[in-house]
Amino acid sequence: FTALVALSFSGAIGLTFLLLGCALEDYGVYWPLFVLIFHAISPIPYFIAKRVTYDSDATSSACRELAYFFTTGIVVSAFGFPVILARVAVIKWGACGLVLAGNAVIFLTIQGFFLVFGREDDFSWERW
Amino acid sequence: MSGFLEGLRCSECIDWGEKRNTIASIAAGVLFFTGWWIIIDAAVIYPTMEEFNHSYHACGVIATIAFLMINAVSNGQVRGDSYSEGCLGQTGARIWLFIGFMLAFGSLIASMWILFGGYVAKEKPIVYPGIAVFFQNAFIFFGGLVFKFGRTEDLWQ
Repeated sequence: FTALVALSFSGAIGLTFLLLGCALEDYGVYWPLFVLIFHAISPIPYFIAKRVTYDSDATSSACRELAYFFTTGIVVSAFGFPVILARVAVIKWGACGLVLAGNAVIFLTIQGFFLVFGREDDFSWERW
Repeated sequence: MSGFLEGLRCSECIDWGEKRNTIASIAAGVLFFTGWWIIIDAAVIYPTMEEFNHSYHACGVIATIAFLMINAVSNGQVRGDSYSEGCLGQTGARIWLFIGFMLAFGSLIASMWILFGGYVAKEKPIVYPGIAVFFQNAFIFFGGLVFKFGRTEDLWQ
């Protein structure tokens, strides 16, 4: 339960950074909000792989690895997009820095969700 | 102090051998998509044909097709020891892999040619797009290699 509260707190912090990058007086440009699309679709490859390989043996990895590949791609894109916006001077570098920080926090939150709530169907006894 | 670090002693609870495939996939993903974002960056900053001839994008596209071809066949299908033959059989898988690697090497060489022939030799004032094409293809190439050879198929579980 405390994990859930901590994760929602860090998620709020991440979104705050993102919005600060857009809404501060100095910046006022709202294009960086498009990284939210990347955040929303980042867990999808993992879930598709989980559903597709549901009834097959062991940890049939090829599909899972492909899912990791695409998820990494989405994460890289979420970091690359603000950098490109800043390079073309659509947003300022300060806003870019805030958006990147927000990205990092939000992705860590999403990863935290998987770590904390993904253990249910795991038969490992290394749970500490 | 020692009590608080006890819970963080996680290097024993992760089996690094088992995670090799995951790490290889993630590294390959980083390389491949970084390559594409480099070229997107160059295309956004230099949108004119003068500075960045749009036909140079073909190099990256062929490199991506080569990546897909190389990774579409598993090592088991090429060696001939997998259960299902696939729709081309073992010889077909070998030819497919051969063509895939040829396209990959070819696009890498083409990107070097573009950099040196199109930008350095002509002494253009802005060289960055040529460098971007070269790095895009280099990253895609190495991403493909890591994805292909960084993962093992020993499913000995």
